[in-house]
Amino acid sequence: MRSEPFDRTVDRRAFLARAAALATASAVGATVGLPSVALASSSLSTNTGPGTRRRPLDQPNAYTEPRPAALAEPTELTIAEAAWLIRAGKLTPEQLVEAYLARISRYDGSYQAFNLVLADAAIAAARVAARRPRDGVLHGIPLAIKDNYYTEGVPTTANSFLFQDFVPPYDATAVARLKASGAIVLGKTQMGPLATTRATTPAGLITTVNAWAPTNPGTDPGGSSTGTATAVAGRMATSGIGTQTGGSITAPSNAQNLTGIKPTMGRVSAAGIIPLTYTRDHPGPLARDAKDAAIMLTAMAGEDSMDPRSQGLPQVPDLIDAASPVYHRRRVKLRWNTRIGVLPGFTNGTSPTALARAAYLAQLAAIPGATLVDVPLPDEWSLLTGNTFNNARLPERTEPFMPYLRTDLRGFGVSVTSWLQGALLGGNEFITTQRAKLLLLDRVLNELFDGCDVVVQTDPVPFDILGLPEIAFPIGATAAGLPIGTILGGLPYAEDRLLSVVAAYQAVTDWHLRRPADPPTDAGARGAAPAQAHRLTAEEVAELSQ
Amino acid sequence: MAPTPPTDAELNVLIRARLAALGIDLDQLPPGTTPDPETGSPGRDSVLASLRSFVRGTVATLAAYQLPAPVGTDPEVANALSQQHVPVLYPSNSTEWRKA
Repeated sequence: MRSEPFDRTVDRRAFLARAAALATASAVGATVGLPSVALASSSLSTNTGPGTRRRPLDQPNAYTEPRPAALAEPTELTIAEAAWLIRAGKLTPEQLVEAYLARISRYDGSYQAFNLVLADAAIAAARVAARRPRDGVLHGIPLAIKDNYYTEGVPTTANSFLFQDFVPPYDATAVARLKASGAIVLGKTQMGPLATTRATTPAGLITTVNAWAPTNPGTDPGGSSTGTATAVAGRMATSGIGTQTGGSITAPSNAQNLTGIKPTMGRVSAAGIIPLTYTRDHPGPLARDAKDAAIMLTAMAGEDSMDPRSQGLPQVPDLIDAASPVYHRRRVKLRWNTRIGVLPGFTNGTSPTALARAAYLAQLAAIPGATLVDVPLPDEWSLLTGNTFNNARLPERTEPFMPYLRTDLRGFGVSVTSWLQGALLGGNEFITTQRAKLLLLDRVLNELFDGCDVVVQTDPVPFDILGLPEIAFPIGATAAGLPIGTILGGLPYAEDRLLSVVAAYQAVTDWHLRRPADPPTDAGARGAAPAQAHRLTAEEVAELSQ
Repeated sequence: MAPTPPTDAELNVLIRARLAALGIDLDQLPPGTTPDPETGSPGRDSVLASLRSFVRGTVATLAAYQLPAPVGTDPEVANALSQQHVPVLYPSNSTEWRKA
């Protein structure tokens, strides 16, 4: 384990150069070679290929002795806990898979988290796993996969009419790596159509509900990785993966009491994922706690010859160690001394969210090694991170879909408007936004992070725009019992720092251990809400679009 | 002198012409403002209204944005110095990266 996280050893100018190169690739519609990100003071080498990728998935910190409350119910186990039992011979992958399939059979009629359950294949994979040597913490762990990840021989629809018959001939790199690490794919999950908005049918009918309010489709479950979030929160998968372009991992994680990481741009290959934007799409996990998020990200991350965005980066650090709490005289302390930047207005007001934020900051500050510091917003923050500049992503979704736009506009369903908007944004404006993006990144790296190591976020979009990492996790609940989450953002490749802070926070709090009550199995229970609330209009989708 | 802002009708022509130049026929969508009952896709009048708003809002705002010059810059040279915020590196750099 390194004595310091990566974030303060990465050459910031090199990260700026990479961002510029990605802008080039997007602007000219081509692939460019990317510069390696230099390490300012380290003998560490960058990755040189898949064979050299470090995958510490079978180390002591990857396994956690189960909580007593989890021993009676396999679907309550975290990855680290289930792996502990599997390693000890007290649980088989088949038992675990069957427990999840039983819950899916009983409750997914209410949740509608999956659009395809691979029951037979999952059981077969579990039986094969039982005959194989255990190869790490993901051995035999059932996962939920967002339906924009290619899955070999299994339909991948992105919840769109356009891909309703698409069966990819290979797995997305991230899926292949999870399977190679021993994980079992339970099924494909519902998502916002083409990764826009919350999960609905392509025609806008709401499908997936928040696992914490299963009888009220009006309660936002977060999108667009909705189905994965509901599957994990509703204990229908141990963990899962999603993608984020405008908040699609962090928002559903916050809405459903999960810990989700949007890693640094390129940290996880996006090869084999139906694109939304080339410069903004980030694959990542939605998990039950920081340790599980670290396990998932460890398996997914690393260089991929199929994705230039993943090449030339610093080696993936030991994320599992980073997500393991450390103690001094039986008291949790931060693994690394960390200055936590607090933006103006973060705790303003008396809303449940504001109160939860204040309590969260107080709990963080009480952990040895944590220092809260007030940090200012960079100049023009609201303008450069607001909706208008965020719209610079739209041409990137339009260009790869041109064949469909020419022949099948109705095939985009309720999401068509933003694809047409992208066609109207000219190269002049696009280049302006790319220039502005680098200006914003320069200000964030050189002004905001001069005063802190991680910074609270009130909106996932700014760090989406910049490709910087952020982690979402629960910090409270409303009076109605709905989860309240928050987001921390970090420097380039600071996933280890972010995980270390959240792991320490979760060691002294129990919000992440709370689970929703089971939903009613009566299918009619969902009919209690007004019918018109079950459908999103094109205008709403355009407004909410990721 | 600033040009007269386009009318709705002029913008409709612009939008349709731009889309047609790309090979996109807006008439694939249902007429009027009623969504297609099968696919949920909006009517073309609704889409046109949204696209007009997009052109007047996002496109115009982005086009009007002026990258800042360094603090203290003489206004006489501010426009020129704002060009120093480059979005891309020159091809020679990219060539070097490929060799690395």
